Amino acid sequence: MLCPCACLADALIFLFLLVFHLSRKVTSVVPESCLLILLGLGLGGIVLAVAKKAEYQLEPNMFFLFLLPPIVLDSGYFMPSRLFFDNIGAILTYAVVGTLWNSFATGTALWGLHRAGLMDPGVEAGLMDFLLFGSLISAVDPVAVLAVFEEVHVNETLFIIVFGESLLNDAVTVVLYKVFNSFVELGPAHIHATDYVKGVASFFLVSLGGTAVGLLFAFLLALITRFTKRVRIIEPLFVFLLAYVAYLAAEMVSLSAILAVTFCGICCKKYVEANISQKSRTTVKYTMKTLASSSETIIFMFLGISAVDTSKWTWDTALVLGTLFFILLFRAVGVVLQTYVLNRFRLIPLDRIDQVVMSYGGLRGAVAFALVILLDREKVKAKDYFVATTIVVVFFTVIVQGLTIKPLVTWLKVKRSDHHKPTLNEELHEHAFDHILAAVEDIVGHHGYHYWRDKWEQFDKKYLSQLLMRKSAYRLRDEIWDVYYKLNIRDAISFVDQGGHVHSAAKLALPSMPSRTSMSESSVTNLLRESGSGACLDLQVIDTVRSRRDKEDAAMHHVLRGSLYKPRRRYKASYSRHFISPDKQERQDKEIFRQNMKRRLETFKSTKHNVCSSKSKARLKEKGRKKKNISLTKETPNGKTHRNVPWQDAAPVLVMVSSEEEESDSSETEKEDDEGIVFVARATDEVLQGKTTPGSLDVCPSPCIIPPSPTLAEKELPWKGDQADLAVYVSSETTKIVPVDMQKAWNQSISSLESIASPPGIESGPQHRRFACPVLEEQPQSASQVMPEQSSCFQFPSHISKSGRSQSDSSPEGPEQQELKPLMATEEQGRVPPSAEPRWLMFNRASHL
Amino acid sequence: MRWKSKPPCSQKSQEPTSLSLCLRLFHRYRDLAPQLVPLDYTDKPAVTLPYELIGSMPELKDNPFRQRIAEVFSEHGDGNMTLDDFLDMFSVLSEMAPRDLKAYYAFKIYDFNNDDYICKSDLEKTVNKLTRNELTPEEISLVCEKVIYEADVDNDGKLSLADFQHMIVRAPDFLSTFHIRI
Repeated sequence: MLCPCACLADALIFLFLLVFHLSRKVTSVVPESCLLILLGLGLGGIVLAVAKKAEYQLEPNMFFLFLLPPIVLDSGYFMPSRLFFDNIGAILTYAVVGTLWNSFATGTALWGLHRAGLMDPGVEAGLMDFLLFGSLISAVDPVAVLAVFEEVHVNETLFIIVFGESLLNDAVTVVLYKVFNSFVELGPAHIHATDYVKGVASFFLVSLGGTAVGLLFAFLLALITRFTKRVRIIEPLFVFLLAYVAYLAAEMVSLSAILAVTFCGICCKKYVEANISQKSRTTVKYTMKTLASSSETIIFMFLGISAVDTSKWTWDTALVLGTLFFILLFRAVGVVLQTYVLNRFRLIPLDRIDQVVMSYGGLRGAVAFALVILLDREKVKAKDYFVATTIVVVFFTVIVQGLTIKPLVTWLKVKRSDHHKPTLNEELHEHAFDHILAAVEDIVGHHGYHYWRDKWEQFDKKYLSQLLMRKSAYRLRDEIWDVYYKLNIRDAISFVDQGGHVHSAAKLALPSMPSRTSMSESSVTNLLRESGSGACLDLQVIDTVRSRRDKEDAAMHHVLRGSLYKPRRRYKASYSRHFISPDKQERQDKEIFRQNMKRRLETFKSTKHNVCSSKSKARLKEKGRKKKNISLTKETPNGKTHRNVPWQDAAPVLVMVSSEEEESDSSETEKEDDEGIVFVARATDEVLQGKTTPGSLDVCPSPCIIPPSPTLAEKELPWKGDQADLAVYVSSETTKIVPVDMQKAWNQSISSLESIASPPGIESGPQHRRFACPVLEEQPQSASQVMPEQSSCFQFPSHISKSGRSQSDSSPEGPEQQELKPLMATEEQGRVPPSAEPRWLMFNRASHL
Repeated sequence: MRWKSKPPCSQKSQEPTSLSLCLRLFHRYRDLAPQLVPLDYTDKPAVTLPYELIGSMPELKDNPFRQRIAEVFSEHGDGNMTLDDFLDMFSVLSEMAPRDLKAYYAFKIYDFNNDDYICKSDLEKTVNKLTRNELTPEEISLVCEKVIYEADVDNDGKLSLADFQHMIVRAPDFLSTFHIRI
């Protein structure tokens, strides 16, 4: 009976979840928690009809031991800690004073209602019973608040206050519940004054003790993750395990378990995130979110199912309506009174609209339900009435308030949270302001908030971080650099998303600067001015002056690598529970990402410095191409070329096409110089022979592999046709070889190759055959790490490692390093003396335009 | 929005307290150098606290911006502070100071070479101070470029006050971070 029922229920649950997620219209109006409760009600009804008695209900033990911890851990771990501690005063006030006020006021008012004879005489309850009921019904529930507020998107301050309150009021609820429960068991006659004192003392014990347990385990967790370098795969396990142990430990000694897990999550995050590997970080994140949302789903579902069980509850209209009325009323009164006091100390006061949302957002949920189920029917005579009332209150707050809070927020025009992109500026100024304010507080001798935060940060930096973070992580974890890194990664990812075309990159770099798109005229002049200085940007040529033999070796090497298809590196086909070998697919993705990143950096630099919009740039290119054709076909200068005459006076700019490593170099080198260079690249034969070939530029903006139809220039100039042939040859050959994932990157490399200049100069003919070399050379880039000389440019440059970045930890962290490489590579810049200039393809800047 | 409505009402209510605040600040100022600062200020004695006194405060020894703050708020830009400077510094950071004033002073603090622009070298100094020289010059230079790129609206390669204010307006919690309440 039970088994098919459960299966049926499960299947239905997932079916409905699917429907919920599919139908955006429903979920945009109705919060998921409401739908889940309603679904639970339906399921409970089915089960009741089939089995004639309620099979399931939310067991308090299951709830407290298994369902609640993931949600609390998730919310603690991902709590925006700065926001939380900025508002800690308000949060604590609402959590402690507000909850105390709510429970006492509700309990007393209900008792008054009972005394007035408005309730059913069946409700046998004294003042203590009502206070007990008040204590459990008045606590704002973190699960419900999270479920509803996550969909409403009010501003962060408002959210953190309501949500923080719902988390921190656990201590008050636990203490009040336990104290009143024992008072009820003792009976009012046996309560002495000392018991009240004990109650107050136990509040401090429970809350501070719970926090201490959380901090202790956070410390342990951070310390353990510091030494898990060789067992990466169980890092996430430690996070979950220790947080759960913190919960159990606090629960065992009847401290506030929710506080323990919350603070464990908040405090360990910084160190744990710095210590564990990127993959573990992702695992922790997704597992935590999955666990939390599963628990949430189950909780709301079971709330619905348990409500059907009519044998557990007895209805009393006066009690239900009275409770509903009082909790709403006292919540509102409490919020208004406390806010009045708090606003005297807050810089940004909570205005009336905030107060309305806070009052209305006081949702009750599964914690209250579980607590009321836990009551002992022998001791608390009116338990059935209380259960019914709690269910109604929970349903009312989650369904009615949950449904209406969104329209209310819209109607009141509550400030929503704005998801603007994080900028490096904000990060920088936030840090700077912290220091400045701390300094001023120090000077005026005021020990305020900034003073203490500054002191804490210094303590953290001096002792805690040293103790709890890996050396490498400690060094790497500089926040400003962190943000820079993240921003770059995000740009790169969005760039890859957009298809990885050079032109989309140009567009990408610009939308944040709308004012720039309109400066076509000035940008042209800018461009002309800036193009006055050309510089050779390639590192490798200058650094390595090779002997002839070396060069031949290298050429041979390139040819071999170009023509041989390398199988992917194979990994040991061994199984281990504790190690995962990096995925092939993953490496390919990384390769594509890296290549695109480089390209993106190039275009980023060029668009940035040239300050032309993608549009104007395209137009310029168009012009440039026209002009190039003109010069190539050696027509007599007409009006158009006349206009371009001043451009030709500009100093030459190098445009080189190269294989991968040179590209990375070029992306670096672009930092220093001001002129925008679209591609800096090099043909391999240059290394070999060290000859200069003057040329002009053929810009082919689209990454097409198909050779363009022969133009006049191609007919006239032999190498043009030659090159086109080669392109065909390469493309047909390599599209077979290059895996599907690589195609995009491949196409790009082709497109960059097609921008190779075919020079109309003196030493034309035979050399241009060698343009095949770079083409072939691009091929093995997916396996590039094998080659020492290629991988060298991805490593951290030596001067950086010299400057104190500890490398000791980094060797086993291959993947992490690889992830950094595309960015770190950009540091190899500015080392290029312009003396190497003549060795490179030289173009008139104008022809490029 | 809120800061606009705040000053009129709070100024009225804080009128009596601002006097006591001034007195408190004066005592603090005097405590820094009792031998230099007289108790009687009626004839406006020309007393300045040398920067060494402020810079050598034990609380400040780790603060990267101590010298810059003293320089910006002192009248002659040399870090020696008169009582007026001292009070000015506090009033800029009080809640009643308008946002533009705060932005102006924040800008001045960043502008190390006093050329009314935050250029790359200024930013490099700032980042160096913030990161306690832990980043390599290359990293710092990259970061600074990005910072300028983000905020440089008129695209002259450096941040003018207008650029700075434009960026500050976009960051909603600037006001809440740049103030001190005693």
